[in-house]
Parts: sequence; C-alpha cells; structure tokens
Amino acid sequence: MTGYLFLALIVFSVASFMFGRSLARRKAAAQGVRAHSLPAFSGWFVAIWSFIPAAVVLLVLVIFGARLENAIVQSDVPAAVQQLPELNQGLFFQDVRAIANGGTPSTTVYDGELKAAFDHKVAQARSVDSTINLGAYVLTAVLALAGGLLAYTRISPQFRARNSVERWVSVFLVACSVVAILTTLGIILSLLWESLRFFQSVSPLDFLFGTHWSPQIAMRADQVGSSGGFGAVPLFIGTFLIMLIAMCVAAPVGLFSAIYLSEYATPFMRAWIKPVLEILAGVPTVVYGFFAALVVGPSFREFFNWLGAFMPGTPMGEYLMNVQNQMALVAGVVMGIMLIPFVSSLSDDIINSVPQSLRDGSLAMGATRSETIKKVVLPAALPGISGAMLLAVSRAIGETMIVTMAAGLQAKTTLNPLDTVTTVTVQIVTLLTGDQEFDSPKTLAAFGLGLTLFIVTLALNLIAQRIVQKYQEQYD
Amino acid sequence: MKLYTRPLYAPDTSIGKPRDPSMTTTATTPKFVARDVKVHYGDKQALHGIDIDILDKSVTAFIGPSGCGKSTFLRCLNRMNDTIPSARVDGTILLDGEDLNDRKVDPVVLRARVGMVFQKPNPFPKTIYENVAYGPKIHGLATSKEEMDHIVESSLKKASLWNEVSDRLHQQGTGLSGGQQQRLVIARAIAVGPEVILMDEPCSALDPIATAKIEELIDELRQQFCIVIVTHSMAQAARVSQKTAFFHLGNLVEVGNTEDIFTNPKDQRTQDYITGRFG
Ligand SMILES: Nc1ncnc2c1ncn2[C@@H]1O[C@H](COP(=O)(O)OP(=O)(O)OP(=O)(O)O)[C@@H](O)[C@H]1O
Ligand SMILES: [Mg+2]
Repeated sequence: MTGYLFLALIVFSVASFMFGRSLARRKAAAQGVRAHSLPAFSGWFVAIWSFIPAAVVLLVLVIFGARLENAIVQSDVPAAVQQLPELNQGLFFQDVRAIANGGTPSTTVYDGELKAAFDHKVAQARSVDSTINLGAYVLTAVLALAGGLLAYTRISPQFRARNSVERWVSVFLVACSVVAILTTLGIILSLLWESLRFFQSVSPLDFLFGTHWSPQIAMRADQVGSSGGFGAVPLFIGTFLIMLIAMCVAAPVGLFSAIYLSEYATPFMRAWIKPVLEILAGVPTVVYGFFAALVVGPSFREFFNWLGAFMPGTPMGEYLMNVQNQMALVAGVVMGIMLIPFVSSLSDDIINSVPQSLRDGSLAMGATRSETIKKVVLPAALPGISGAMLLAVSRAIGETMIVTMAAGLQAKTTLNPLDTVTTVTVQIVTLLTGDQEFDSPKTLAAFGLGLTLFIVTLALNLIAQRIVQKYQEQYD
Repeated sequence: MKLYTRPLYAPDTSIGKPRDPSMTTTATTPKFVARDVKVHYGDKQALHGIDIDILDKSVTAFIGPSGCGKSTFLRCLNRMNDTIPSARVDGTILLDGEDLNDRKVDPVVLRARVGMVFQKPNPFPKTIYENVAYGPKIHGLATSKEEMDHIVESSLKKASLWNEVSDRLHQQGTGLSGGQQQRLVIARAIAVGPEVILMDEPCSALDPIATAKIEELIDELRQQFCIVIVTHSMAQAARVSQKTAFFHLGNLVEVGNTEDIFTNPKDQRTQDYITGRFG
C-alpha cells in the first residue's frame, strides 16, 4: 500500500510539474513580460513542494511505523502473558505481529486465557496498524496537495523560481554527503562501542600482547575455560608474514613493470599491457582465493614434497614431505599477484610525474636510459613510490578472501612461510560466520580485531597520502 | 681536469668540406657543418633543409619567431631528437668532420662532447656537489675522491658559481635561486669536458640580473667552447654572439656576423623580424 501511495505521489508530482510549467507560461504570456525564470523552473518548484514534504512523511512511516505499532501493542501486557518467562513473552508478541501483519508465526500453540489474550492483541495490532497507516496516508495526501497548491499560487513572472530550485539542489547535494558522513561515523562509533564492550571482559593488554589465541573455547558460557584465549599476537604475526611475502612479490614486479611502461614501452606495447593489468586489477578477490586454494596451494605442496623426497631421513626432508596445501607462502604469493596492478599503476603515475626536463638533463650529459632511471628518475620518485608501497601494504593487511581460502585457520606464532598461519581478517570471518550469540566475548573479539585493523590501515593510508601529496607538490 | 677529444669513430677525411663557398665567411675552422638537414615529427616537417657552419670558440645565436624550428635544429646537434619517438632527422651534420648521424656513432659519447642547457633550470633533486659530479661519475672521469673534488670545483668556478656555493656544496641543488640553478646546470654540463655547449633560451626563466650574469659567463666560456644559444631577445643575441642565424618557418633565412645581421640584413624577412614587425 505504501508503495502504491509512493507511486501515486510521483505521478502527482509529475502532474504538478506540468501544471506549474504551463501556468508560468500562461501568466507570462498574459502579462506580456519576460518571466524571471524559465517556465520549467516554476514546474520544478511546484513539483518539489508537492513531493518532498509528503515523501518525508512516507519515509518516517516506513522507518518508524512498525516500531510505533509495537510500542503501543506491548504497552500493556495481558496478565496471562505476564506469567510467561521473558523469552516466551517476546515470542508471544512476535507471533502477534506475524498473524496481524501477515508472516510466519512460530509453532507455539496458545490456548485458554492465552488464546483470548492472543486474539485480543492481534485485533489491537491490526487496528493500531490501520490507524497509523491511515493517518500517515491522509497526512501524505494533505501535504502533497497543500504543498503543491501553495507553490502553485506563488507562480508569477516575477517569482524567482530558478533561485528557489537552485537552493533545493544544494539541499539535495548536502543531504547526500551527510548520508555518507553519517554512515562513516556510525560505523566508527559502533566499532568503538562494541570494542569497548569487548575490552571490558578482556584486557586490552592481554589482547594486544597475549600470544594465546583460541576464542573457540569460549563458545558457551557454561563451558570450562569459558574465558578463552584472546591474545592476538599470533594473528598480527600471521598478517605481517603474509603481507611481507605479498610485498616481496608485488613491490619489485609492480615497480619494474611501471618503469618499463613509463620509460621503455612503445605506445603499441603500452596499449596492450595497460588493459591486461586493468583486467588483473578487476579480477574479484574470491577468484584469486580459489586460484590460490585449488591451483597454487596443491602445486606448491607437491613441489615441496618432491623436494623433501631428496633428503630422506633428515628432519628437513621429513618436514618438507609433510607440508600441507595451506601455507603462508601460497596466500602471500597470490596476494602479491593481486597487488601487482595496484602497485604498478600507482608507481606509473608517480614516475610519470617526474618532470621530463630531469630526464632530458641527464640524457643530454651522455647518460644512458637506464643510468638516467637509476640515478635520476627513481631517486626523484622515491618518496612517492614509498607512499605507493605503504598503500599496498595497507591493502594487503585488509585483504580477506585470499587468506581465508589459502592461509589456514590455526593461530601459530611463526615466521615460517611453509607453515599455516591465520590473519586478523580471517579470524574476523570465522568469529562471525555461522549462528552466533551476539554478546559473547567471542563475537565481540571480532570488533576488537576490526578496530585494530581499522586503526592500522587508517594510519598507513594517512601517512602514505601525505607522502604522495608532498611529493607531487614538489614538482608542481 | 682532463679535456680530451673522444673520436666518434675512425674519422673519415673525405667528407666535411663545406660545399657552399658563400658560407665560409671567416677563416676559423667550423665545429659543425650541417648540410640539407631536414626534420620530420611524424608527417609534419619542422625543418626544410638547413645548411650552416658553426664556428668553434665563438658564440652563435639562433633567432626567429616561435615554432620556426630553432630548438629542433639545436637538438639535432647532440641527437637529443633521438629521444622523441616521432622525430626523424635526414641530412648530414659533421662534428669536426665526422658525421653525427652515422650508425657507428654512439649518442652517449656524442652528448658528452656536446653538452646542453635547457630553458628551465633542471638541477637534479640531489646536492650541489652530486649534481656536478653526476656526469663525471657516469663517464668514469675521476679515479679518486680528490680528482672528483677537483672536477667539481673547477667546473663550478668556470660557471662562476663557486664563490656563492663553496660553503654549501652538500645542500640541495633545487634550493638555489633560478639564476644560480641555471649556472649550476652549466657547471654540470662543463664537468664532463664538452667541446660544445648548446643553450636553449637559457635566460628566459631568469630576472635581468641573473640574465646579465649568465651572459657574462657565456662570454667567458667562449674562450674554451663552441657555444650555440637560442634566444628570443634580439638584445641578448646582439650582446653575446659573434654569429647570428635567423630561422623562419623551418628555413634558415640568413646567417652571418651578428653585426651585419642587426645593422644590414640582406633578407626582407630578417629585417622585419629584428625591427619587430612580426614574430
Ligand atoms: N616533440 C614534438 N612533436 C611534434 N612536433 C614538434 C615537437 N617539437 C616541436 N614540434 C614542432 O616543430 C616545430 C618547430 O618547433 P621548435 O620547438 O623547434 O620551435 P622553436 O623555434 O624552438 O620555437 P620556440 O621559440 O617557441 O621555442 C613546431 O611547429 C612544433 O610544433
Ligand atoms: Mg624552442
């Protein structure tokens, strides 16, 4: 119903637009003057006033209508229901809502006094629902008509409809950016709030410096050892290790391909390589993830097993023979491949912003191209490139899909690239997937990890952006 | 500091004699002999056959309206046009009788002999010392720290910059004033021991005082080097050069003694240009 009303409102607004426009035309023609604004602006003006106040009412109804109804229905709880345990009271009202508004009720059977209370509440819910809706609809219609009429009467050749519409345009733009800002603020606040709750049960020091991570133990409150282990150091080390491996792949390959692209490649080669890198950048990370898990992981394992077979009896050989699919090396290498286009396109921009005059200066002294790159271009681009690398690090730390599929789940404090490790992001995923109680330290730990991750990547991004900005100012 | 002539390749003595007798107006030996030099950028022809002799140990000024090909021709003289993918150079340019565009010529060696200074000062983002030492380092001209110090000092002295920077050699070259930067760049070019210094509007980014310093410097450098300077200032051409060449729409219209060009031009177009009627 609300949907239809909204459609009707749109139709009405379109009609108002036309009426407003034609009125403006007729009035201007009748008075034989040139109107201040084009007729379309008068049309927009009437349409805006028909639409916006009414639409706001509808929006409020959609957001708060159900809550208001619940509040009214639950304001007096029948005696029979009061005797129920709290959990079942909630269920009772859930069922009331389901029956009244159309939905799937639970399988609970209410009889006797409860049955009476139930029917009574359903009837009440229905009447409250229709009252609220009716009120809102009437209000919508009144506002649409009144707004439209009021705006309609103001139209005249002297009326500055253009300026008025301009104001609404800026209101609209501001509203959109406010939505973006509020969302960001909301995310940060909820992250902070939930982390705070987590740190009430687990001390931040234990979290940041503890070396024992086993949140699974704390699954149920009545279990032994329900405190679990929330020392996140193994996760930090795992994250760091994988990031390091990824950067070992992405930094040189990305940088050198950027040098090739910006300094050596003919326009023809550039026209081929750039799109390929863009395709690489466009591959969804989940595809990299199963590429890592299904292709790279097994082949790396086979390789190391094969290597181990050459040293039978030695501890090294034994170890290599037992290497598993899931290891830090696989996740790191694949993540590095994912980062190549990122590093390469950032470095390409930065190398291109080194002024041509520096290259000319060096070449004119009889330096070769590679000497020029090594001794002039790269040193000049170094600050910018290090900024680009920091951005890549920050992406590596936040990357989730590849590590989830290829790194493993075991929290180990190790720097061995052949071992399975786990990362902050992987743990957030495992903590929150599946049916979870929202209040246990286990799920709240995800917020603690999320906050840590957020702070680290934010800091990295800020530093990197400052460096890149400083660098580019230098050559403006 | 060692100044030596590095042969571009085994000299070919059969070529190198000027063809056009009217061009050999002085007795001094020409450093460059250019014949029928044509340059295309893609399909667009920028130079339509330039014939000119450029004398050693003197200053030659290139003048002409914007876009007439002065820079293009200057870049032919040390093959900087090689760095522009679309550029194609035809014709002969002899440096001390050897053809620059010969396949056997290594442009890297050539550019060490024919240095270049650009319109905007372009010191590397390194220290003053490193800027000057850059060329000698890549060409391996110094075998010890002392030798390098000596090259740096004498180059800066020749560029009349030593007195101003001797106490801050290890500060950034980009921190100098525009005029100082331009002299630093000249010192950098001198440090590799070139025989020729090409300058493309070296003063157009400088104030009058810095310009006067550079002009003074050019006059001193003339004793040792062959200097070619592109300029938009008639007054500057008249002050610093002995020979002036007037370019117009990709052609060399007139070349001769600076005095003659400015007092008694033969061509109407030259006359119009120096009296400011176009360009
Ligand atoms: N890299 C290039 N690619 C294509 N065309 C070029 C290039 N450089 C110069 N040209 C063209 O060649 C012609 C000569 O240019 P050139 O730079 O030699 O002129 P100029 O006499 O130095 O002018 P100015 O006094 O403005 O510096 C111009 O028409 C110019 O558009
Ligand atoms: Mg020029």
